[in-house]
Amino acid sequence: MSLAPAAPLRPARVLRYAAAIFVCVLFTVPLLVTLNTAFKTPAELTQVLSLPSEPTLENFRIAVAEVGPAVLNSLMITIPSVVLSVLIGAMAAYPLSMMDPKKGRWIYFLLLSGMFVPFQIVQIPVFFVTRAIGVYNTIPGLWLVHVAYGVPICTFFMRNFFATVPRSIYEAAQVDGCGPAGYFFKILMPASFTGIAALAIVQSRSVWNDLLFAMTLTASDDVMPVTAKLNGFVGAIQVQHGPLMASAILTVLPMLLAFLLFQKAFVRGLLGGSSK
Amino acid sequence: MPIKGPRDHRAQKALTYTLFLALPVTFFLTAYVYAVGYTGFVSLHSWDGISPTMRFVGLDNYGSLMGQSRFWHAVANNLKWLAFYLVAPSTLGLALALLVDGKLKGEGVIKTLIFLPYIITPVAVAAVWRWLYLPDGGLVNTVLDGIGLSGVASNWLGDRHIASYSVMAAALWSTTGFSFLVFFSGLRSIPAELFEAARIDGASAFTIFRRITIPHLWPSTVLVLGLFGIEAMRLFDLVWSMTGGGPSRASEVLATQLYDVAFATFQMGKASAIGIVQLCLAAVLILPYIAYITRNVEEAAE
Repeated sequence: MSLAPAAPLRPARVLRYAAAIFVCVLFTVPLLVTLNTAFKTPAELTQVLSLPSEPTLENFRIAVAEVGPAVLNSLMITIPSVVLSVLIGAMAAYPLSMMDPKKGRWIYFLLLSGMFVPFQIVQIPVFFVTRAIGVYNTIPGLWLVHVAYGVPICTFFMRNFFATVPRSIYEAAQVDGCGPAGYFFKILMPASFTGIAALAIVQSRSVWNDLLFAMTLTASDDVMPVTAKLNGFVGAIQVQHGPLMASAILTVLPMLLAFLLFQKAFVRGLLGGSSK
Repeated sequence: MPIKGPRDHRAQKALTYTLFLALPVTFFLTAYVYAVGYTGFVSLHSWDGISPTMRFVGLDNYGSLMGQSRFWHAVANNLKWLAFYLVAPSTLGLALALLVDGKLKGEGVIKTLIFLPYIITPVAVAAVWRWLYLPDGGLVNTVLDGIGLSGVASNWLGDRHIASYSVMAAALWSTTGFSFLVFFSGLRSIPAELFEAARIDGASAFTIFRRITIPHLWPSTVLVLGLFGIEAMRLFDLVWSMTGGGPSRASEVLATQLYDVAFATFQMGKASAIGIVQLCLAAVLILPYIAYITRNVEEAAE
């Protein structure tokens, strides 16, 4: 400790702070100007850098009317999709983590191979299949699709997590007469709470952000999630930037809140695929 | 009884495992295997998606794609995106992680600010950046004018030569937070004693970086490059909502082209052929990675 040459590095340290602050400003500016614009009246919009002279909530009022219902749709789509995805992923991961690796490996590889399939290439079959079974343009239809396409990543994640649960717990449960299913529901799942929370938040992000399935599988306002709705505004011929920025803020607000509340779980989830 | 017990138990285990795997595997087979097969089947036909019959055309759809400069342009764009993802956000993320990992005060705030853009939905990123890029009164050109660089100011999304790169800049902003965080956590997981021991042995800062830091960041690197690679081959949202593939298809990638061919011109056969080519491309580039992590996890689990 005493060997660390702390004092002579002072200028380097100042430089480091300066660089860090500069980077933070660069990363934050787009967000700040967005927030700034969302409070402006139409007359002031052309001055990007000025502060609003009379901050108004009018843009947010329009945004709530325009994308508010779609935000609710997104919540209705995301929450059940994520709960089911995590459960199904855990169900696949449990046997794969307990089986003899030689036997389980090919199933695991098969499921993981889904990770490289670009979703666009299945959008035509998904479109026709959901129509054929009558779930096109319904919220449960989107649950099905998100759960099905979440299988690879959820299995991968939970499999990694279960590998960290000590085997001795399983042996102890067995001695106590706990069957394999009982062990999963009564012991393994509760013990994996942090892993489940982490996966849930990562999966929420991907379901919430989805635009492709949203555009392919929804057609009416009572089902359409907020990404598809917002995308309609982004590409409109006459863009009203004040309401648009307010709508963009509403669109990201739930995920931002989730992130700030569950920051630890979020970070853990993103790192879930690395070795530890 | 003592002999029969374990055997019963084994049968019960096998049954439970099978039941547990049944649902996920069914989902997988339907959503991936069947759906990809269906796409492959449609790609051999001429079909508008509406009429009840498809006309078998063999490999004609593939043949006509190969002769189309529009198609090759999208392939080239996807490869550009792949190169971009593997180099830019990963290197910048690593550099920022090294910068912040020095016991700076306010580290938590810095971390959150750099990471925040990664949380933002791509469609919202597109909404914000389209507005920042406005040729008249957009932030980018306003700032360039303000610092006397009005010569550099451009129609960022309207010029076919730079539209793709403008979208990449937005992608850099929104994805760097991820690689930053992964590398930062990777750096934090290196035992401090290793650095101290090396320092006592008189190793230079560069040697420490090369011999200790780099090898220990390997798992983080595998994660970042793998996920970015997958992302590059899947890219759709950001391009679609920022440029719609334009201007005049200049920024098109395979995914946006597929969407356009399928749902704007109703050439389902041809769109499916694009999808199959995209899948093969992704398979060649990403399957080795998945094989690697499957094997690696087995070893880590021991």
